[in-house]
Amino acid sequence: MEKEEIISSGLLEMYVLGVANSEECAIVEQLSFTDASVKEEILAIEQSMEAYAFANAVAPSTNVKNKLFSQLQLNNTIYNSKVIEFNTKTNNSNSQNIGNNKAWYTYAAAAAAILIITSSAFNYFFYNKNKQLIAANIEIEQQLQLASTQTETLNKNLNIVRSKYTEPVSLKGLEAAPDAAAKIFWVKNTNEVYVDASNLPIAPSGKQYQLWAIVDGKPVSAGMITDKDGNKYSIQKMKSFGKAEAFAITLEDEGGHEQPKGTMYVLGKI
Amino acid sequence: MNNKALKNIFPLQPISKFSEEELVSLLKKQDEAAFSYLYDNYAAALKGIITRMVDDTQLAEDILQEAFVKIWNNFKQYDNSKGRLFTWMINITRNLTIDTLRSKGFKKQKKISQDENSVISYQDKNYTTDKFDTIGLRKQLQFLKNDQKIIIDLAYFNGFTQEEISKEMDIPLGTVKTRMRTAIIELRKLLQY
Repeated sequence: MEKEEIISSGLLEMYVLGVANSEECAIVEQLSFTDASVKEEILAIEQSMEAYAFANAVAPSTNVKNKLFSQLQLNNTIYNSKVIEFNTKTNNSNSQNIGNNKAWYTYAAAAAAILIITSSAFNYFFYNKNKQLIAANIEIEQQLQLASTQTETLNKNLNIVRSKYTEPVSLKGLEAAPDAAAKIFWVKNTNEVYVDASNLPIAPSGKQYQLWAIVDGKPVSAGMITDKDGNKYSIQKMKSFGKAEAFAITLEDEGGHEQPKGTMYVLGKI
Repeated sequence: MNNKALKNIFPLQPISKFSEEELVSLLKKQDEAAFSYLYDNYAAALKGIITRMVDDTQLAEDILQEAFVKIWNNFKQYDNSKGRLFTWMINITRNLTIDTLRSKGFKKQKKISQDENSVISYQDKNYTTDKFDTIGLRKQLQFLKNDQKIIIDLAYFNGFTQEEISKEMDIPLGTVKTRMRTAIIELRKLLQY
């Protein structure tokens, strides 16, 4: 068939419309490959049919694209936003949109990365800060605890000293330690006996001070003086007595004795 | 007249965003953004074809989805020396629709009445990524003679064979081609191609 004959036969139209049989398709394809004017004619037919198809377009519902993209496991979320973008824009700017969107994602990714880094730095900083604050808080709490314990002890001691029923007895230093001194607070209404041994020299290790009450001319043990608050002797409660003529403190072996054996340090008569 | 000159003179010319070459080369590389663009710009036109053959909207959209799956998966087979991208896509879509209908025991349907339905549903949607000035095209197409429109539609939209067209329109098989050519020449005049 001659070229003009083919063109005027309607074969090219049939080809473009998809109605040509395979034999006809082969003829057209070969001719369009060798003849530019045939190719151009086919192109013009194609363009007109394309325009015709667009004139008869029916918009699909929006979920088709979502389903399509998830079926193909394409990045649905990203391109969804693109659909919205496309739908709200007019015709001309679409290819720009794709470029802009790509740029936008790049910027968004960069911004996100910066955010994460900054946030991590802040996290680290605040984590350390927080750790320091917690430690400081614990320390302050401990100090407060200590202070309130001390205050409590002081108040207790002060109450003993201030009580109108308390009879203080001063014990004076003897030869062994002339500078030593101690005080007994004898609370008459309850018969409680307290000793303030804070002016005694520190007992050597293995030794302990023992308080004696002299009752009817005989020493009776009033208990061991402990130094549980470190090296400081605080006011501590001893054994109670109905009566006593004097009080004395001796340095004994740890744990004390029934009768005084060690050196007497202080003595005070009532 | 070349395409560029056409573009300057006629508003009915497709408005290109990606050039077709660009789009094709990106799709050969399985570029997802290009595919998204392809869908946005061609889905409605392809659904228009399916809708001519399938009444059921859900089925039509299933076919549309499947057509795009084929387009994506088989894109390497597209050979631009054999024709334009859209021609390839519409052939896939048309064949898939016919196969689907056949597998469901349907016969080819002829929905070639003055299809006002598509106009209404088209304008209902906020479908603005139009490749063409659709309203302008539609105005022009009003001037297409009815039997010319029918012969084009039977082939292009309904996938009728030459024999089927001959039977349907009650014209000799030998004249189907020339009638088709006359109709398309008229179409081209109206659409200025």
